[in-house]
Amino acid sequence: MTHAVAVGARAPDLALPALVETADCPRVIAFVHRWHPGADGAALRAELRGLGAELVVVSGTGVWAFGPDDHAERVALLSPRQLATVGARFGVSGRGEAVFVVDEHGLVRIAHRSDAGLAGGLADAIAAAAQAMLADSAPAGMLDRREWNLAALVSGFAFVFLTGCKPRDRAQREAPVEAAALPEGLAIELDVNGKVRALRVDPRASLLDTLRERLGLTGTKKGCDMGQCGACTVLLDGERMLSCLTLAAMAQGKKIVTIEGLAQGDELHPMQRAFVERDGLQCGYCTPGQIMSAVGMLAEAGDRQLTDAEVRHGMSGNLCRCGAYPNIVAAIQSSRPGRP
Amino acid sequence: MQPFTYVRARTVDEAVAAAGSDTRFVAGGTTLVDLMRLEVMTPRTIVDISGLPLDAIEEGPTGLRVGALARNSAVARDPRVRARYPVLAQALESGASPQLRNMATVGGNLLQRTRCSYFRDGVSACNKRAPGTGCAAFDGYHRMHAVLGGSEHCIAAHPSDMAVALLALDAIVHVRGPLATRTVPIADLFLLPKDTPHVEHTIGANELIVHVDLPATPFAAHSRYVKVRDRSEFAFALASAAVAFELRSGRVGEARIALGGVGTRPWRAREAEAVLAGQPPSPELVKKASAAALEGARPRKDNAFKVELARRTVARAFEELLVAQDAKDGGGAR
Ligand SMILES: Cc1cc2nc3c(=O)[nH]c(=O)nc-3n(C[C@H](O)[C@H](O)[C@H](O)COP(=O)(O)OP(=O)(O)OC[C@H]3O[C@@H](n4cnc5c(N)ncnc54)[C@H](O)[C@@H]3O)c2cc1C
Ligand code: FES
Ligand code: FES
Repeated sequence: MTHAVAVGARAPDLALPALVETADCPRVIAFVHRWHPGADGAALRAELRGLGAELVVVSGTGVWAFGPDDHAERVALLSPRQLATVGARFGVSGRGEAVFVVDEHGLVRIAHRSDAGLAGGLADAIAAAAQAMLADSAPAGMLDRREWNLAALVSGFAFVFLTGCKPRDRAQREAPVEAAALPEGLAIELDVNGKVRALRVDPRASLLDTLRERLGLTGTKKGCDMGQCGACTVLLDGERMLSCLTLAAMAQGKKIVTIEGLAQGDELHPMQRAFVERDGLQCGYCTPGQIMSAVGMLAEAGDRQLTDAEVRHGMSGNLCRCGAYPNIVAAIQSSRPGRP
Repeated sequence: MQPFTYVRARTVDEAVAAAGSDTRFVAGGTTLVDLMRLEVMTPRTIVDISGLPLDAIEEGPTGLRVGALARNSAVARDPRVRARYPVLAQALESGASPQLRNMATVGGNLLQRTRCSYFRDGVSACNKRAPGTGCAAFDGYHRMHAVLGGSEHCIAAHPSDMAVALLALDAIVHVRGPLATRTVPIADLFLLPKDTPHVEHTIGANELIVHVDLPATPFAAHSRYVKVRDRSEFAFALASAAVAFELRSGRVGEARIALGGVGTRPWRAREAEAVLAGQPPSPELVKKASAAALEGARPRKDNAFKVELARRTVARAFEELLVAQDAKDGGGAR
């Protein structure tokens, strides 16, 4: 017998011992007939990063676990009977395929089943699920779609609906699979947004690439990769610097804050809120860098109130191809209490 | 980027011991990481000196002593620097961007490399990057290139603003080598390209800059930096001038004039200084001095404008200093 799994209900237990350690992670659970890692690896990683989730694929080739920064790992090989049993718990049977998004509390947020199998690849199905979630997640009347997109942009995207894995679990899962293969992989520790992450990096790795590609923090943007645009601005020990010209190894021992680290839970940082309220962006690509730079600039200014001319001078390291400068200045000036 | 070994130095001795011909120190990384990514610089080993305790700005035996790892932003905002060596604060403030100034160090700024696009592109003929291959700038686009100090082998301009100010301040660079510490007057630090444009300065590969002394000269506090560029922020100089002089009973005493953006090295204009010495300041005198500063310039088709631009930049810096002086003692005025 199979029965459907309802959105909002507790997800059934997969009952696979190898997965217990990551139980606090948001998770995408996919039922696919035959799946091999590698087929759509890069696209999958990108979708998973967007969701801040890990993926569990239950298939005839085994049960695979897959984080945004890990290689897929086969955690179990199920017999056809075991497979049918697990599938039945989720209401998937016969030729059916399905994708479920389960949040960190174990509740089903999206359930997408198809008796005829998923059209397109797994990455497409997950993208569609993410899309559905985006449309879903704005409480009615609070944010319209554009505002929601703005909020997502200025906050580095993913946290809005999934809080991401607990640091302890992430650290464990991030056991240096990729870089272990490098003869000269450097073991480093980075303190990012208050969490210490241990990883192995190529000595050539920039802090920017490490944040984006290894730690899944894609809020920090790469514009020029040569110090000329400011899109990659982060705070190191409270000072704004460029992550593209900083080697990851050189950032050890410093407190790194990225755009993802500004908000306090669901409460946007005043600078983020100001950019949303004053429409301090157009395409949004330069925005995380603008916001980090603005936060750094105000810290440098201390109590001193800056004139508009000083703000323009102080923000000269951040280029905006869309020319959103007037609103950027207005946003920064409005971010401080006591200003209109 | 070519692979390299990363070494983190815990002490100055360790840094010096780890250095060698295939090695580079990395401080802020804003020149080195950039040029390594472009594969213009390809050291086998990089020695990270950013953790060394060389970032102090303190009173030294002859004036202020600035550590080699003091950040450009920290030096620029230091109240002692602003009051006693305003030209230095102004030059630093005019360079790069706030983020870059937070990363860039005094030592790294001194040894930054040219922004010549043929040097940076990694493929063009360039005697500086690949000795003996020629110089693509001569027949190429050389609007940003030098009009002073070029040779038939290289006309790349030196990009540093800070070094120009240090030249006007008679700064002394302290260098630690494997055997001893030595001092290099800033005027002896940078080399003309001649027929070895790849050799840019007199600091050895295994020598570490540890600090820079700023002597308390009578003209240091009465100094100014003026930089002209294509946009008002975040651009290298087309022409810049660091001017410092002492005014004694209505006459110019000792004076320093240094130019940026126009020379193959930070350019000290001694002829112009000589014109000023002992004379009462007047518009004619300023004109004579700024003309002397560009004596011997060898402009080419795209950069001929720099000659007149640099003259006017010198004149403006001088006049602004006089105005500041009139408006009362002048020292420290911005
Ligand atoms: C986009 C951009 C714009 C810029 N605009 C300007 C500008 O307008 N004006 C300007 O003046 N500069 C400008 N710069 C250059 C910038 O000032 C330099 O890159 C910076 O000062 C270099 O300092 P660093 O500490 O980052 O050096 P690093 O990159 O760490 O080192 C540079 C070189 O110096 C050597 N070195 C460093 N420290 C020592 C030491 N203590 N002893 C011996 N050798 C040492 C290194 O081995 C390396 O070869 C710009 C740079 C960029 C990327
Ligand atoms: S990506 Fe770092 S400054 Fe452009
Ligand atoms: S908003 Fe598009 S680049 Fe700034």
